[in-house]
Order: sequence, then structure tokens, then C-alpha cells
Amino acid sequence: MFITLVQKELRAIILSPKFVGTFAVCSVLIIISIFTGISEYKTMVNRYEANSELVDQELRQSTSWGRMNTKVYRAPDPMQIFVSGLDYDIGRWSSVSGERSAKLKNSAYSDDPIYAIFRFIDFSFIVQFVLTLFAILFTFNAINGEREDGTLKLVFSNSVSRAQYIIAKALGSWLGLVIPICIPILLGLLLILFYNIPLTMDHWFRIGLFLSLSLLLFTCFIILGVFISSLTKSSSVSFLTALVVWVVFIMIVPRAGVMAAGNIVRVPRIAEIEGQISGFSKGRWEQFYQKMEEGWEDKARESSHNDEQSDEMLWAKMETIDSLRREIEKEIDQYGLRLQEDLRQRKSAQEKLAFVLSRFSPASAYQLGAMALAGTDIRVKNRYEDAINEYRNQFYQYVENKQDETGDNGHIMMAITMEEDGPMDMSIKGSRSKDQLDITDVPRFVRPIVSLAETVTPVVVDFGLLILYILLSFTGAFVAFLRYDVR
Amino acid sequence: MLKVIIEKEIRDLISSTKFIITFGACALLIMIAFYVGTTRFNLNQAYYEASRAENIRSMEGMTDWNELESNRIFLAPKPLASLVSGVSNDIGRTAVIEGRGNIPIEDSRYNEDPIFAIFRFLDLEFIFKVLLSLFAILLGYDAISGEKERGTLRLAFANALPRQTYILGKLIGTFAALSISVLVAIAAGTLMMPMMGISLSANEWIRLSLIILAGLLYAGVFLTLSVFVSSLTNRSANSFLVLLVIWVFCIHIVPRVSVLMAARSVDVLSVDEIAFQQSGLRAQLLDEFSEGMENFKFTGANDDVDALTNQLNAHMDSLSNTRDSKMQSFSSRLFEERGNGQKTQESLAFALARISPATSLSLATSYLAGTSVGLKNRFYDEAKSYQEQYGSFLKEKTGLNAGGGLRIRTSSACTAAEDKENEEAKKEKPKGIDTKELPEFKYTDVTPAESVQAAVADMGLLLFFNFIFFAGAFVAFGRYDVR
Repeated sequence: MFITLVQKELRAIILSPKFVGTFAVCSVLIIISIFTGISEYKTMVNRYEANSELVDQELRQSTSWGRMNTKVYRAPDPMQIFVSGLDYDIGRWSSVSGERSAKLKNSAYSDDPIYAIFRFIDFSFIVQFVLTLFAILFTFNAINGEREDGTLKLVFSNSVSRAQYIIAKALGSWLGLVIPICIPILLGLLLILFYNIPLTMDHWFRIGLFLSLSLLLFTCFIILGVFISSLTKSSSVSFLTALVVWVVFIMIVPRAGVMAAGNIVRVPRIAEIEGQISGFSKGRWEQFYQKMEEGWEDKARESSHNDEQSDEMLWAKMETIDSLRREIEKEIDQYGLRLQEDLRQRKSAQEKLAFVLSRFSPASAYQLGAMALAGTDIRVKNRYEDAINEYRNQFYQYVENKQDETGDNGHIMMAITMEEDGPMDMSIKGSRSKDQLDITDVPRFVRPIVSLAETVTPVVVDFGLLILYILLSFTGAFVAFLRYDVR
Repeated sequence: MLKVIIEKEIRDLISSTKFIITFGACALLIMIAFYVGTTRFNLNQAYYEASRAENIRSMEGMTDWNELESNRIFLAPKPLASLVSGVSNDIGRTAVIEGRGNIPIEDSRYNEDPIFAIFRFLDLEFIFKVLLSLFAILLGYDAISGEKERGTLRLAFANALPRQTYILGKLIGTFAALSISVLVAIAAGTLMMPMMGISLSANEWIRLSLIILAGLLYAGVFLTLSVFVSSLTNRSANSFLVLLVIWVFCIHIVPRVSVLMAARSVDVLSVDEIAFQQSGLRAQLLDEFSEGMENFKFTGANDDVDALTNQLNAHMDSLSNTRDSKMQSFSSRLFEERGNGQKTQESLAFALARISPATSLSLATSYLAGTSVGLKNRFYDEAKSYQEQYGSFLKEKTGLNAGGGLRIRTSSACTAAEDKENEEAKKEKPKGIDTKELPEFKYTDVTPAESVQAAVADMGLLLFFNFIFFAGAFVAFGRYDVR
């Protein structure tokens, strides 16, 4: 009997006139989303390669170890085909310079705001907005529709227990909706193979997890529809209720949660922090110049008595100044890092609250989990900035060593000759070598790699939440149906 | 008769559960959007003031305008922008002004706080675009087929009632019910603004009312469309499904896909390519610069350190000027090329996307709120003209162009190290610079005339859609089988 009921439900869904239309729409959208994801990814890979080439070229063109600085670009990852997440919102590159710590800037959206108006389309978006809507569309009248048609009475004239019936109903609708959806998804995966997107085992594992997360969200809304339908008598009321619930879960709760957290936990703006840093650094440099000035005066007094030693002393003096300069740079760095650390802590408090609040909606649990799996979540910014800062230390350590080795420190030497009766003259020498620098062993940036375990751990919460929501709605549907007036 | 039908329609709708639920949800959300918009504006205003204050504070203690290396200017938040965000959260809001050269603009809201980018903000435009249209569909999808299913359609035509009057009355009645309820919610929302300390200028009031008008026109499009579809189908369940598919496509798919298609078909010089070409030139210019620097020859009387400093600074200044003007003329050509490409891309993307009325709504409202794609370039241009102002101010103060690279300052102590008098003079605290003298950056928004002009085409398009679907409903109902 159970199997008959499931079969009947399956047949009812697949043979219904609305099924053909919605299935076609979903399939087209899923394939479009994966296709645009692939082409977008390919463009980004090309851009990334061109930019890395540019970075290399700039290194090769630099003529002095002293003036060397570089850039780091964020590398694209094939997972963004499915979940672009924050990829277009977060800056694409950061400069690696002595003056300031890493800061990702020029996000794709800020460079080309035309994309920002409507944003991109990706698979996770289709799941969230379209699949969930259709899930509700097929299940809002699962129970009360049968009652209205009078078939519910007929079913229970057989020896069917209510529990059996509701389980069969949920399972049948689930199978009827999930199996067909798998077809376009598989086609999409074929598309990825066809375009030769380089995927490692690790990626496939993530894709698998991501797809199961998507199915969980889909299931969640299917069961939710059944639940709402077993709460109400008329299908038009359950339809409206389901639609309102859909709007609230998909569009309102996630935004409201984040915005509430934004109001509760205040975080200072980066512009403010940078103002503080630049104020501090200006003060420090001013001290530095003053010290230098005083030093020169002393030197001038001493050296005027002894001409021969002056050159040597000059160099010694320059070296002390140089080490003083490095010290100050470090100090400013540390000051900046302290402020940034503080900012980060406040931000992470804000994030925690925001995510707790918005996870009341299964859609945001899904979105957060999907982004974490794809590595396009909010942590990508800090992860990259940390890696770039580390690289920056490495890079400057190397450059400083090179400077000491070659004596090429990028300084500009200015000498004023003033003799008692001769003409006053001034000469300026910039330190630059005509030969190309040997940059073969300059340290290169390695993109931060997150281990699979690290990615999966935070997603466990979202998996758990979605399963919890499914269980809750199913229990709800079960209990409500046991009391349902089938007449 | 028309009046009777309109009245009946309004009464019917307002007393239905469907209306109460949807209207309740919509009104609540509209008010939330206003509330959130105003608090967000107040918050942004506070942040803006703090950033500006911090910028000024960082200049304190300077004694010479020469010490000023850069100045930061900020794009001020606008109350309308928190109702219609447009691209205002995606573009950089801080410009670093050095006195010459390219102006880096950074710190976009979403890059800075990506947490808000995950789900984006809930603003009035979003409520209009997504929910008001859904609301309109819900009110209209069973306008004809529903009456038929209930059998009331036959009854209505038992009277001496021309079909035209019936459909006209139906549309006017539904539209009136929808717009009155929305307007009530919006009125409550706008009242909230002065209560929370935001005063809009007359100019902004005009824009806001036009934004609301655009919203109503947009709701009208979906309403007439629903009635049209409803008069094409016999069953209301079918008409709803068709409408929902159209809705998904109009709101979520068409705009995105059109932009992507336009991006594929029009090649635009990317910022990275420009950077690539610039860096080649920069290396070459740097060489020239260093060579020029080494060629400095002092001509003047001995001991005249002041003359030496002045000559050196002037020399460096002229070197910087040549370098700068070469770079500028080279980059401005590239940026122009990019700008032209972007324009073509934009017009193609928008032309394609305007098949969906949701695009017209987004574009019209963002033009009216001053948050359209053009905001980025406008801020850049304004920053540029500020940079000129700032440069000439510094030139007046220091005698040199700002941002000219290497420069020498002589303190009195250097010129006569052993001069006792000067030693004492040095101990006197030098006077700080008066930061109030610094020219202030004022972002001038587009004039209302300009923004209305930009929005007129899209509002016209919305009106046009209204007419088309109305005509469609009219014709389809003329042939409808009312039995």
C-alpha cells in the first residue's frame, strides 16, 4: 500500500501540466547558470594570468632593490562557478608595499558597476530563488488539495494509516521533484567536464557536499509546503501562507538579521582607521626628520674640522639613518596592525551575531554553507590579507637582504659642495643600475590553501540546521495531519 | 455602471483575506524599508563625519603646507541613496587626493564590510521590484478566470454590461485598491523620516515622489499583465503559474543575463589592461626622471642656499610636471577608450534588459536617487576638479605644485648652524597650519532636471508596458468565453 501511495504521488506530480513548464524553466536556468559560471570563470582565469604576468614584468623592470614593490592578485577558483558568493564584492588585488599593510581593493563590482546593478547569476542563486519557489508551488496543496478534490476521503476508505499516508505523500513529492532536477544538474556537471575546468578530487568532494546542501534546502521547502498544507483547510489560504513564508525566509530574514547585527554591533570605518594610521605615521616621520636634521647639524660641526673622515662618516651616518627608517616603518606597521586587529575583532563579533540571527532562515543557512564550501565566504578577505601580510614580510626581508648585499638601497644621494671661494655646486645621484636585476629567487606569493577539513567544519552547522528544519517541518506536518479533518 | 464595477472591485479586494495578508506583509516591509533606510543613513552620516574629522586630525601639528602629502575626500551619504541603493554600496567612497595624477578611489561599502554584501540591503527599490510586483500578480491573476470559476462572471453579464466597461472597471478598481494601500504605507514611512531627524530638501521630495510614481507605474505593469494573462486562460491556477514564471524571468533572469550578454559582445578595455600599459610607460618615465634629476645644475651666487633650494625645487617640479603630463595624456587616451567601450556596453546591456520592466524600474529609481552607474564617474570627475582646486591652493601656499616628488626644505638651522640667535628662534614653537583654509570638497549632485530627464525614458517605457498589457487584456477579454 505504501508503495502504491508513493507511486501515485510521483505520477500525480510528473503528469501534472504545471510540471512540464516548471521543469523546463528550472532546467534551462540551471544550465544557463552553470554555463555563465564557466565562462565567467574562464575570463577571470585569463585576467588573472595576464595580471600575474604584469606583476612579473614590473618586477623585471624595476631598476633598484630599494624601490621594489609588487602586487598580489586573488586567484580564481573553479568552485565559484557554483557559488560566486562574495567574489565580486571583495577587492581583487592588494599592493605589497613598505608603507602599508595588505588591503584588498578594486572589487569587480566597483571596477565595473554595471554588473553590480543586477549582480551575477549562479547556481546557488537559482536554488535559493527558483527551486524553493517551485518546491512550494508543488506542495502547497498536497493535503488540502486532495481534500478539496474529495480524493482524501476515498484514500482513507482503504486500510491506510494516517502516518503511512503522510510519509508516502512527503516521500512521493520529494522523489517526484528531486529526481527530475538531478537531470539538469548532471548535464551541468557534464558541461564542466566538457569545458575542461581543472578540478581536483578535493573540488569534486566539495561539489558533492554543495549539491547535497542544495538538495537539503530544496527538501526543506518541499516538506515546509506539505506542513503548511496540512495546517489549512483551503488550498488558496495555504498557498498565500506558503508564499508569505517563502518571501520572509528567502528575502527578509537574511537581510534583516544582518542589518540588525549591523545596528547592534558598531564597527568603525576603515577610512577612520586609516586616518588614525596616517596621523600616527606623519607624526613619527616628523620626529624622524627632526632627529635627522639634528644629527646632520652635529655632523656638520664635527666634519668641518676633519675633511678626510667626512665621507666615511657620511656613510656611517646614512646607515644609522637607514636603520632608523626601517625601525619607524616597523613601528607604524605595528600600530596599524594593532588597530586592524581591533577592527577585525569587532567585525567578527558583528558577523557572529548577524549569522546567528539570519540562520533562522534555512535559505541563509544554505547560502552561508554554500559560500564556505566554495571558499567565497566572508573569511576569504581576512585569509588573503593575512597571507599577503606574511608574504610582505618575506618579500621585504628578501629585498632588505639584497639591499645590504648590493649596497643598492634606492637612495638618492645629494651632495652640495661649498668651498670658501670656489663655486657652489650641487650634484644629485639616484641609485639605479643599468643592468637588469636578477629576480629569479624573489619570493613568490602562494595563494592561501584551505584544507578540506577547515572548509567542512563550519559547514557542519549549516548541514545540521537544514536537517533540523526538515525534521521540524516534517514532525509538524505529521502531527498536524494526525489531527487533520479528512472529510 | 463603470462606477459600480470599480466600487465592487475595491470592496471585493479589500475584504478578501488574500488582500489583508499581502497588504499587511507589503505595508510592513515598506515601513521597515523606510526605517532601515533612515537608520542606515544616520549611521553612514556619523561614519562620514568621523572619517572627515580623522582626516583633519591627521594634519594637526603640521607646521608647513609642504608636509601635507595627501588629503582624503569622501562621498557623502545621501538620504535617497538609502532608499534606493543602486550602485552606491559597490563603488569606492574614499578618494586620496595628492594634487596630481590618477586618483585612487577605494573603500566600497561592500568590499569593506562584505557581511552586508552576502544578502545585500533591504531597500525600497527592492521591495518595489520584488514584492510589489508579486503583490500585483496576486491581486490580478484571478481577475477574470477566477470570476469565471466562481460563476460570477456569467452573473455580471446577465446585466446590460458592455465587456469594455467591465474590464476597464476591473482594472481601475484593482489598481486603485493596490495604489491606495501602498500609498498609505509609504506615507507612514515618509513620516518616519522627519521623526528620525532626516529632513529632505524640496528637490529630494520631488525625486522621492517620482520614485514612488515609478513604483506605482511598475506595479501597474504587473497588474495589467496579470489581468491580461488571466483573460487568456480559463483556469486561475494556470494563469498564476504562467505569471510566476514571467515574474521569475523579469526580476531575476532577464536583467542579469542581458548584462552578461552585453559584456560578452562588447569588449571593454579593462582596468588591468590599462594598468599594464601604464606600467610600461611608468618605468620609462622613471628612467627619464632620474636622468633629469642628475642633470641638475646650480647657477647662482655662492652661499645662497635659498636660491639653491628654490632652483632645485623648481627643477624637480618641472621634471614632475613633464612626467605627469606625459602620463596623463597617455592614460587619458586609454581611459577614454575604456569609457567609450563602457558606454556601448551599457547601452546594449540596458537595451536588452529593458525587455523586463524590472530593469526600467531599477534604472529610473536609481537615476532619480542619484545612485545610477554614472555615480562612479561623477564622483571621479568631482574628485578630479577638487584635485585641481587643491593643487592650486597648495601652489599658492608653498609655491610648488603638489605631489611633485622629491623636494628640499631648509630649516633656518641648516643655513647657519652656529648662529646662536637662530638656535633660539628655532625653539619658538612654529605655528601650525590652519586646516580650515583647506578647500572643502562638496559633491554636487545631478540637478533634478537632469535626473528626471534620465529617468523619463524608463518611466515612459513603464507607461508603455501598461498600455500594451491593458490593450492586450482589452482585446483578449473581448473574445473571452464568459460561460
